Amino acid sequence: MTTMPEIMSDTQLQGYTDEQKYQVFNKEFMPHIDSMYNFAFRLTMDEDDANDLVQDTYLKAFRFISSFEQGTNAKAWLFRILKNSFINDYRKKSKEPAKVDYQDVETTYNSDEASETEHTTDLRFETVQDMIGDEVASALNSLPVDFRTVIILCDIEGFTYEEMAKILDIPIGTVRSRLHRARNLLKDKLKEYAASMGYNKNDD
Amino acid sequence: MSGTLHSSTTVGVEGRQATAPMKESCEHQAECLKRIQSILDGGATEEEKEHFKQHIDICKPCIDMYHLEKCIKEALQGKVEKKCCPDKIAAAIRSEITK
Ligand SMILES: [Zn+2]
Repeated sequence: MTTMPEIMSDTQLQGYTDEQKYQVFNKEFMPHIDSMYNFAFRLTMDEDDANDLVQDTYLKAFRFISSFEQGTNAKAWLFRILKNSFINDYRKKSKEPAKVDYQDVETTYNSDEASETEHTTDLRFETVQDMIGDEVASALNSLPVDFRTVIILCDIEGFTYEEMAKILDIPIGTVRSRLHRARNLLKDKLKEYAASMGYNKNDD
Repeated sequence: MSGTLHSSTTVGVEGRQATAPMKESCEHQAECLKRIQSILDGGATEEEKEHFKQHIDICKPCIDMYHLEKCIKEALQGKVEKKCCPDKIAAAIRSEITK
């Protein structure tokens, strides 16, 4: 069997019977389908693309099920395949406008520690508490996809830093710093949003 | 709970009385913010946890940052709609693999 980049390379192939394959698939893979769909939708921002991406991912997962060791972290394994499929097959044709170059953002948020702290000072937690889900979602959706991804994995799906490092193929230190930058950017967006909606008036 | 943190300078994160005077500015804010995020994410080292305990009750900017970060995390977790996979997609997958 050929290996493919989506699958962990260091796993030993499992000798499943056909019956066991279906069992693993139904018991360990299918329960994550809603989380997978939500991830796909937040990445592609398009229902049709999300449908295709989830289907492609599950079919790949079945095809390469021998690389999955029963009882290990199926959710992280599936998310990793989905993320790689997204990068390889969908990102190029993504409908998301390429308005922010990832490298630019990375550089901007890396360069100046002082401006990092300024980002946090005047958004109040009460303002965020007052916001509805759609407003928070719009702020999240406006982030470049790499930043959006770490926030989805960490805050929405509750993956640990270690799991995120595996899903994204990056060191834990990079997970932490990317999250940190993603959150600064998110706070900027929430602040902009709050200002445009008339939240955050000086009421004390 | 809203408002209490702004009117009081002696109430820390857990609501207990702080003995040291409250700091109005934080000299390590960027570092503190990273530490606070690790704590909330459940990924903090023992050293980070210890530092957080020492610091969080006596530093107003850190208390504010803690509440904001926690609030954003909770909003993402609890308020943002989670899209569910359409049944027809799950059905299509099942039929495709049993072919
Ligand atoms: Zn501080």
